[in-house]
Amino acid sequence: MATADHAHPTPRQYVAIAGILVVLTAIEVSLYYLDIGGLNTFALIVLMLLKFTLVVAFYMHLRYESGFLRRLFAAGLAVAGTVYLIVLLAFLERGL
Amino acid sequence: MTTHELAAHTETSTGIDTRKVGMWAFLSSEALFFGALITNYLLFKGRTLEGVHPRELLNIPFTSISSFVLLMSSLTMVLAHAALTRNDQKATRRWLLATAALGATFIGGQVFEFTTFYREGMTLSTNPASSSFFVLTGFHGAHVTVGVLLLLSLVAVSFRRKGLTFARGMNLELVGLYWHFVDIVWIVIFTVVYLIR
Repeated sequence: MATADHAHPTPRQYVAIAGILVVLTAIEVSLYYLDIGGLNTFALIVLMLLKFTLVVAFYMHLRYESGFLRRLFAAGLAVAGTVYLIVLLAFLERGL
Repeated sequence: MTTHELAAHTETSTGIDTRKVGMWAFLSSEALFFGALITNYLLFKGRTLEGVHPRELLNIPFTSISSFVLLMSSLTMVLAHAALTRNDQKATRRWLLATAALGATFIGGQVFEFTTFYREGMTLSTNPASSSFFVLTGFHGAHVTVGVLLLLSLVAVSFRRKGLTFARGMNLELVGLYWHFVDIVWIVIFTVVYLIR
């Protein structure tokens, strides 16, 4: 018998989330062509983070998982973000 | 597997299935792996000494459609998960096959893109920017290919054992986690490599 461990979104909710992801992607592509200057990169990163969060929270069900799994994944992201930000800043500072 | 064996298998000190903990730990390490490749691209993208730069050849409308295809594959994957939760084996197989087909379509698009770039004179060794571009997107494509193989394996196991369960083996939930991770990596690559100028 197939059983899932936790309550998850319904198929209808999954489709609604997919709709939101498609709309966000459409906005991203529009921004590429509109090019709103200095805000462009900022807006694209915000949209990227929104899409990332939606998939992780609802499709990967991390929102419904234990705090242990949430911390485990967040630790990987935090380490990666910190280490590579330092690398990028170090290279930029030296003008490499 | 008997009920007793299953209980012994799933009871852990954390109360979480160890296979799931293992998969999340693996995905966490994969974040470091792709982080390195993305950083590598960011460092080299502005340093083209000779030859064609990826930025000159990127086809945004085409890649936008590829991104849409991969996003939709995440939807079909969760619909497979939902179908298995209802123990609807037929629908589970159907959604798994749809996910594999969408993944294969994405890979086809990437092969087309790479072939076009090669014909335009941008290869792995043209310049640092092209190398970092091909390594990053190529490794992502390799991950998608592994995902497609895992999905097809699940379908084969489903036919062989007359249905899937969440309890045994490399199950649908773990493959689903891997698949969605590949999707979120693409969400980052699409923005960082293709959209940010």
